[in-house]
Amino acid sequence: MISSVDKQETLEQTRQRVFMALFIALAVGLHTFEALLPNPLPWFRIGLANILALTALSFYGLRAMWVLSLSRIFIGSLLIGNLFGPGFLLSFFGGAGACLLMSVGALLLNRGIGLVGLSILGAVGHICGQLLIASLVVVQHQSIWLLLPVFLLFALISGIINGLAADFLVDYLLQHPAFSACRKGFGRHHVEG
Amino acid sequence: MALSSLWVRITRTDRWIIAFIFLAAVASLWLTIGRPAGQNVVIFEGDKIVFTAPLSQQRSIVLHGPLGETQVEISAGKVRVTSSPCPRKICVSMGEIHRSGDLLACVPNLVVVRIEGEERSYDLLSR
Repeated sequence: MISSVDKQETLEQTRQRVFMALFIALAVGLHTFEALLPNPLPWFRIGLANILALTALSFYGLRAMWVLSLSRIFIGSLLIGNLFGPGFLLSFFGGAGACLLMSVGALLLNRGIGLVGLSILGAVGHICGQLLIASLVVVQHQSIWLLLPVFLLFALISGIINGLAADFLVDYLLQHPAFSACRKGFGRHHVEG
Repeated sequence: MALSSLWVRITRTDRWIIAFIFLAAVASLWLTIGRPAGQNVVIFEGDKIVFTAPLSQQRSIVLHGPLGETQVEISAGKVRVTSSPCPRKICVSMGEIHRSGDLLACVPNLVVVRIEGEERSYDLLSR
């Protein structure tokens, strides 16, 4: 009996590792894809890779989200070729800010927050982290904070889009038996209204 | 039908977050748009001030950064970067500025164009 429970646990662990690897690979793909897209407005990114961070948060919790985001940024920057350059600093601190705000949101508002709310918090954390590091290191002028209102509006729009996409993805994956065994994670509330 | 299926995915807490961020964006937009037009154009290369001129003047300036020549134009009370050697041309696409505190930055070529009001602030003097 005990050994079968043990087996069940290692099965779950192995499953999580395999799916985390898959999620990281997908996130790196989206990260690179987005860097290749021509962007009409400077610094405007949808942040598609955050969809996978939200999925990891929803299935496996906070630690998985941090692991996914940080490894995605390192591997993605390595692929794009700007590792440790100014662009990397911006995306690293953006990613860290996003994870920080999403963690705070997940822990404090766990009773009612959905993936859309978490996604918006992530987008806002992303621009705050980026503007902070830009004003301290890259541009070294406080006036860069004047861009904040425009960025906030963009973050709101892209956050809603990413959140809805992540919500659809999580719902879809939950139909599969490999995920239905996952404990109920963060940001899944809309089912009960 | 399709829209309402999206709407149910947004929880009540999410709606509060959306409203809060939207209000924050509108409030900060209102705060930044209300600033008066500036008086002077100040151009930095790295940390050094390399050029200052009143905004009312009509002229164009050529700056020499590490990548090459960046051209800046002052005309009709507004400033813009007309050409730059940097790869992504973000500074060119930032358009025209004229309000006090506004900023054009070309990070790769280390050129920062800033508009200042009548009095210089102390933190700029101390640089």
